[in-house]
Amino acid sequence: MTTTIRTRVPAGASPAAAAPSASGPRARRAARRRQLTAAGVLMTPFFVLLVTVFLIPVGTAVYLSFFSDDQPGLGFGPERTVFVGLRSYAAVLTDPTFLGGLGTVALYCLIYIPLMVVGALALALLLDSGVVRLRAFAQLGLFLPHAVPGIIAALIWLYLYTPGISPVIELFAQADVTIDFLGVHTVVPSIVNIALWSNLGYNMVVFYAALQAVPREVIEASVVDGAGPVRTALQVKTPLVRASIVMVSIFTLIWALQLFTEPMLLSQSSPMISSRFSPSMYIYDAAFTRNNYGLAAAASVVLLVCTIALSYGVTRFTSRADVSREAR
Amino acid sequence: MPGRPSRRSVLAAMAAVPLTGAVSACSGGNAASSARTGTTTRITFWSALRGSQEVVDAFNRTHRTVQVEFQQIPSGGQGGYAKLSNAARAGNAPDVATIEYPQVPGYAIDGVARDITDLVGDGLRRKLLPQALGLTTFEGRVFSVPLDVEPMVMHYRADLFDRYGLRPARTWDEFAEQAAAVRRKAPDRRLVLFPTDGMTQFACYAWQAGARWFDTSKGAWNVSLADAPSRRVADYWQGLIDRDDVFMNAVESRQSDAQIGNGLVLTRLSGAWDAGAQMNARPGQKGQWRIAPMPQWDTGSPSVGTHGGSTFAVTADSRHPEAAMEFIEWQVSHPDALRARLSSGTSSQYPAAPGLVSVGRDAFDRSYYGGQDIYTLFEREAQKIGEQWLWGPRMSATQKVMQDSFARVSGGQGSLVESLRTAQEGTMPDLKALGLSTTQHST
Repeated sequence: MTTTIRTRVPAGASPAAAAPSASGPRARRAARRRQLTAAGVLMTPFFVLLVTVFLIPVGTAVYLSFFSDDQPGLGFGPERTVFVGLRSYAAVLTDPTFLGGLGTVALYCLIYIPLMVVGALALALLLDSGVVRLRAFAQLGLFLPHAVPGIIAALIWLYLYTPGISPVIELFAQADVTIDFLGVHTVVPSIVNIALWSNLGYNMVVFYAALQAVPREVIEASVVDGAGPVRTALQVKTPLVRASIVMVSIFTLIWALQLFTEPMLLSQSSPMISSRFSPSMYIYDAAFTRNNYGLAAAASVVLLVCTIALSYGVTRFTSRADVSREAR
Repeated sequence: MPGRPSRRSVLAAMAAVPLTGAVSACSGGNAASSARTGTTTRITFWSALRGSQEVVDAFNRTHRTVQVEFQQIPSGGQGGYAKLSNAARAGNAPDVATIEYPQVPGYAIDGVARDITDLVGDGLRRKLLPQALGLTTFEGRVFSVPLDVEPMVMHYRADLFDRYGLRPARTWDEFAEQAAAVRRKAPDRRLVLFPTDGMTQFACYAWQAGARWFDTSKGAWNVSLADAPSRRVADYWQGLIDRDDVFMNAVESRQSDAQIGNGLVLTRLSGAWDAGAQMNARPGQKGQWRIAPMPQWDTGSPSVGTHGGSTFAVTADSRHPEAAMEFIEWQVSHPDALRARLSSGTSSQYPAAPGLVSVGRDAFDRSYYGGQDIYTLFEREAQKIGEQWLWGPRMSATQKVMQDSFARVSGGQGSLVESLRTAQEGTMPDLKALGLSTTQHST
């Protein structure tokens, strides 16, 4: 119910403002009303979903992070629900395991996002330049891993990473190279590798589609001006798909901050991945093994705020860059 | 089977879940179904312990006014605790739940386990080993009733001890010398394993040395995982690890199974229950094992900790706490209950009610241990259980953090003492977020 009201309020405001100029014909007003109804009907599903799968859960998390069933002292007394202020937040932010998880995910982002964006863009430019034969085949081959669900991908890689059963490790061993994919220093790169394998093809397609929209005459002009294929790719095409690069960066960032599936599964076989390896795993652990919903809720809100702040930061940073470029 | 279940029993329990789940779904197997029909009170009971079905059957045969509906659930770490917590949150927890000692305070604080002080009569109190009941009593209030209490003992390979001229060590110093000797004489063998997944084992070593990880005497949870006795134990094992005198890997692993199966590890330090688990898991090693008391820090005042053991709690949701208590009392103190449990297979659990020890002793086949009377040994060891110990409010979490850190030590990062401090740092935010009064004593 609230959603329809919500959708109508901003929509209803504009005809009221426009009313003096459109003072009259009943037909026009009826048409306007029909338009509004259509807009309302078409947008309702979106707002219903927004409320049920986003706003209500976020509201619940915020509530859970500020209220708690407390018993004073040792905790064996009767429970009562009390407002606990920032207690859960203080606990989360002073928890070295949570901060360690944030650090891990930061490291992961630092390795993963540049590799992903540069890699996907490079592949897309290659495909677009026409150097590659069998373009459709290459595209399909690169895209296919994305069709594999994350949990299956993690299982496949778990098999390839586990000593004793992995053919890859055996191959290295035959060349007298001992390699531990799940060691202290290799575990984050190993997870990055899984994520790259899964998502590189998808983002490449996004870039490739954007490159298709680059006007051919611009390319021709650059060729006429004497630019080689590399220069055309880097200095003509790449700036023209800036918007896509920003979008892919933001989506990749948001996806990376929620790191969960891969480490959760790999933790089965590597003691180097703790139960609180990433913030999402921390939240899961807090709620379901520690039974500490206040802590889990506070950690979720902290992660949400971090995600929003970083996404906003990326947008601001790139749009400011745009402005300064235009000024030049 | 109490304490750490063998992987086989866990698998069996997990395999049994869908089936029992389906059955109870038909009968509505939760608190809502525990209803008074005529003069019969029906209660529900969840457990991952082996032989529980047999115990329930025996109870139902001999009781008219209370009937128990049993549901096998996975062991705690395999999802049993999550299931219990979620059921309690949803208001359909069973009347009687099985909780291991380390988790009792957590469930008491969460309001899942009911305060049953008034339901535990003097008769039952007298039947139970005081140290066991002490682990389920907080601020003078009882929250669950112990089934078994498991003093840690040293299981050792008598044949290999003979070969290398060893006798069970009486002190930890002697034990360390033997560890070095074994490595010298047999480079692929080790005296013992330091388990990287062994918070409960480490806690038991610290307990024996006089540690108090948790203390409630001043009206707040004082946490000191790295107190002086714990550091002493950590330094001791760190020395053994640094000198490569012990194995260091997970005990719940194929690697550890192979170490025991191939005779690479000469002793196992674990609870009394493990004698039966060993018999079930490796019948081929019959006659090779014996059991001895733990090495001591101070032979003048010997002490041990416990490793494993389960308790039964009445849940706060239960509508028939008296009936639930009647079932629990029978289960932990009646000889028929223990006989029924043992009918499902060999077990060497040490009952928390000393009156039942003779039942266990009579049912136990001594030939695996070369005719040794292990129950008399357990009886002596149980008397030495240190009384100072309390488990903390979020032991599963403390356990995970500590074990994650142990695993890193085995990968060459950090030390055991640092692991204790890490575990403490990873525990405090939990307790604070729960709103408990806490103090820290970390040196």
